[in-house]
Amino acid sequence: MSSVLQFVINGLLVGALFAATAVGFALIWGVVDIINLAHGEMLMLGGYVSYYTLVVVTGEAVASPALALATVPVAIVVVFVVGYLLQRLLVAQVLGTDAFLSLLVTFGLSIGLQQVALKLFSADTRRIAVEFADPSLTVGGFVVPKLKLVAFAGAIALTAALFLFLQRTRTGRSIRAVAQNPEAAALVGIDVAHTRAVTFGLASAIAAGAGAFIAMILAIQPQMGLIYTLKSFIIVVFGGIGSVPGALVGGLLLGTVEELVAGVVSSRWTLAVSFGLLIVLLIVKPDGLFGTGVRE
Amino acid sequence: MSSLDTSLDRLVPPTRVRAWFEFGGRHAWTLLGVGLLVGAVVPFVVGDGFYLSVAGEMLMFAVLALSWDIVGGQTGYPSFGQMAFFGIGGYVTAIMFRDFGVFWPGLVLAGVLSLVAAAVIGAVVLRLRGGYFAIATLGILLTLTEITRNISITNGVDGISFLSTLPATTFYYVFLGLLGVEAGLLYYLSQTRFGYTLNAIRDDEAKVNAMGVNTTYYKVTAWMLAALFTGMAGGAWSLFNFFIDPLTAYNTAWNVELIAMALLGGTGTIVGPILGGMGLHAIIRLFVETYFTGWQLGLLGLIIIVTIIVVPSGVVGWLEERASAMDYYEHGGGAAGEESGGETGGEPE
Amino acid sequence: MSPQLSTDGVTKRFGGVTAVDDVDIEVEQGEIVGLIGPNGAGKSTLFNCITGALTPNSGTVRLDGEELSELPEHAVAQQGLIRMFQHTRVYGEMTVRENALVSTAEDAGLAGSLTPPGDSTRERASELLEYVGLGGLTDVKAGRLSFGQQKLLEFAMALMREPDVLLMDEPAGGINPAKLNQLIEYIRDVNSERSVTVLLIEHNMEFVMEVADRIYVLAHGETIAEGSPTEIQNNERVLDAYLGRE
Repeated sequence: MSSVLQFVINGLLVGALFAATAVGFALIWGVVDIINLAHGEMLMLGGYVSYYTLVVVTGEAVASPALALATVPVAIVVVFVVGYLLQRLLVAQVLGTDAFLSLLVTFGLSIGLQQVALKLFSADTRRIAVEFADPSLTVGGFVVPKLKLVAFAGAIALTAALFLFLQRTRTGRSIRAVAQNPEAAALVGIDVAHTRAVTFGLASAIAAGAGAFIAMILAIQPQMGLIYTLKSFIIVVFGGIGSVPGALVGGLLLGTVEELVAGVVSSRWTLAVSFGLLIVLLIVKPDGLFGTGVRE
Repeated sequence: MSSLDTSLDRLVPPTRVRAWFEFGGRHAWTLLGVGLLVGAVVPFVVGDGFYLSVAGEMLMFAVLALSWDIVGGQTGYPSFGQMAFFGIGGYVTAIMFRDFGVFWPGLVLAGVLSLVAAAVIGAVVLRLRGGYFAIATLGILLTLTEITRNISITNGVDGISFLSTLPATTFYYVFLGLLGVEAGLLYYLSQTRFGYTLNAIRDDEAKVNAMGVNTTYYKVTAWMLAALFTGMAGGAWSLFNFFIDPLTAYNTAWNVELIAMALLGGTGTIVGPILGGMGLHAIIRLFVETYFTGWQLGLLGLIIIVTIIVVPSGVVGWLEERASAMDYYEHGGGAAGEESGGETGGEPE
Repeated sequence: MSPQLSTDGVTKRFGGVTAVDDVDIEVEQGEIVGLIGPNGAGKSTLFNCITGALTPNSGTVRLDGEELSELPEHAVAQQGLIRMFQHTRVYGEMTVRENALVSTAEDAGLAGSLTPPGDSTRERASELLEYVGLGGLTDVKAGRLSFGQQKLLEFAMALMREPDVLLMDEPAGGINPAKLNQLIEYIRDVNSERSVTVLLIEHNMEFVMEVADRIYVLAHGETIAEGSPTEIQNNERVLDAYLGRE
């Protein structure tokens, strides 16, 4: 029993990172009306920016907690710019056409970015080794790795920051206005194209932050992205498009399920279970997925 | 823009394009026969080395792109999981060959099992539309990859390798045969109400339903047809390749590649995906892999993006549009029925 | 004689809103019945309940005495009840002829669809396209037709199904006023020559008074009046509903 609880704790810790990734995915879906299949690549890029920032500055991929954390904002800023430009220069070209074409463009982008990453960073997995003097806390008999706790807190902070940004700032209000009705937003003087690009940039930036933490607690690899995109999809389908709390709950739940499968069955089956879950969700909840229901 | 238009008009005048299509329509069976005959002669010309492999692969990709297009282009359900059936077929023949030393029964079984799997999967995923359908099919592909990695009959992540004694020409002719049968079958079906119904589902599924047609049967049948040919192509490919493992059998990049082929050639046509499949693969194998080694996927992404933005209806689709652009007026469309003035009297509810 | 098409206490709610409230209508075989009412009266929702596009919360729909309420949309159509849409719905990338051919009721099953359409089907399609004045445009893609032509094509497609009952949602909407008489003739003609019962929603009062034998008036989801065109024109409640008088 206590080992099961331990798995749940592990799951919640990792799940927060899934949630932060999914929140961005949901935001693009809700505001730009695109299912961004290259979302996982933004996470991957964030991981690499963080890794190479460290390597360039210190000459090695080993860091103190403070130094490792300092690379996260770099990843966020760089990938924000990448995301902004991708939306402006590329995705905007296919907006309003067939939904399939926009899917395919982002899929093409995903493949292209993987290839670029393979060329630039090689296929080796990389990891930022963060050195804690005393790596784990023990709370009530359960082991909580400090690093995972930091990543958890970071992911929650990113998600909360995005939520507050959307609620409290002028740009956040513009984003929500564009999500609800782009034409009306344009009429009241909002630059819709710019707002969409900012949305894309923000969503990518959050994923990049999550990617930086993943580089510390797990590992990064050029072809890791698609899996995170699909996980985001599962979470958003579960939690609802555009719902930040929904994505948070969905992410924590998915993390827990994966850790339970890994702990109780075998880590080899976690992905099969996750993707199986996606298909089950799509079958069980098709009405909720079609959006407005009856046509006309 | 207008100077581009005029030069295009001079290069491919609509009347001439239409004459090509009319010729193709009148002599479709003859053209298919000639194509197969030319295809049958190829091994005698190029021998059985590298170029025969490339030619065989070109035919295989034509089969895959054409199969994808049955559901993706003709019926309007673009799948990101077509390669699922390729993998199923590939593993069936691989296991049959490894355990029983036979190929042909394995190839038949590959087709049968792909059909069965498609019936089950299709009944589930074809209830979804748009992005949900696309991602569900991608999810199926990745689920199968993960399952295959973890079970023993497929030898997990290591895959299965074998020394096939069959000559490369056998596989070449299998691919040619599959393509010939599939193209002929699809051409035949395109003139039946089955073919019309698939196109109608693509254009307006709710209307088809309201007209008394249970669209599920048609969609699943089309999906099974696509799976049959994809599965058999995969079945031939694993032995042709001497090796199969989860990542190559359920290749997501290939899945995108064959979509790009259908798209580049022209979806919803028969010639388009065939030309797109053969042409794009030839470019990749003979040009990209030589001069841009290691950049295949990056270029593939680029090709997709450029195709979608520049010629979204594909080369054949674009020509078809040109050919029919003037139809309406030439048939007196402006005079028959309603004048434009009649279109503004509506009272929207 | 029992009516050919009837609704009995049909009610449809969306959330807290009752779009159709306990509606009883009866259409006798061979009739042309109009369904009118202000915007939001629930006319289209009632159509959707009849055709199986929506499932009513309560009440039953009967065709020739048999209950339709539990049937899916395509099965209702197979019973001989065909609907036309308010906004034209044709298969835009297919030719006009293919639009007609795909709509045939002959060999409606999957197996029967695997052979090319027979001569009788082709002749029927040509005849019907000629009938609606699209005979010269059979090889043109339906998406290139004008709005009015698409409406006529949709009409021919519905007739290809050889319906017993035809539901038309605003047939006159968007049609050139000069062509309305022709449309009335078409409707009367299929009604008398092809013995098709017609139930139509319409906003154009002049048109509906001219073509319908009998009219139902819906307001706020309820039937507020029923009668001949003359009776309806003189009904106080109808005038109230339309003019907003209380």
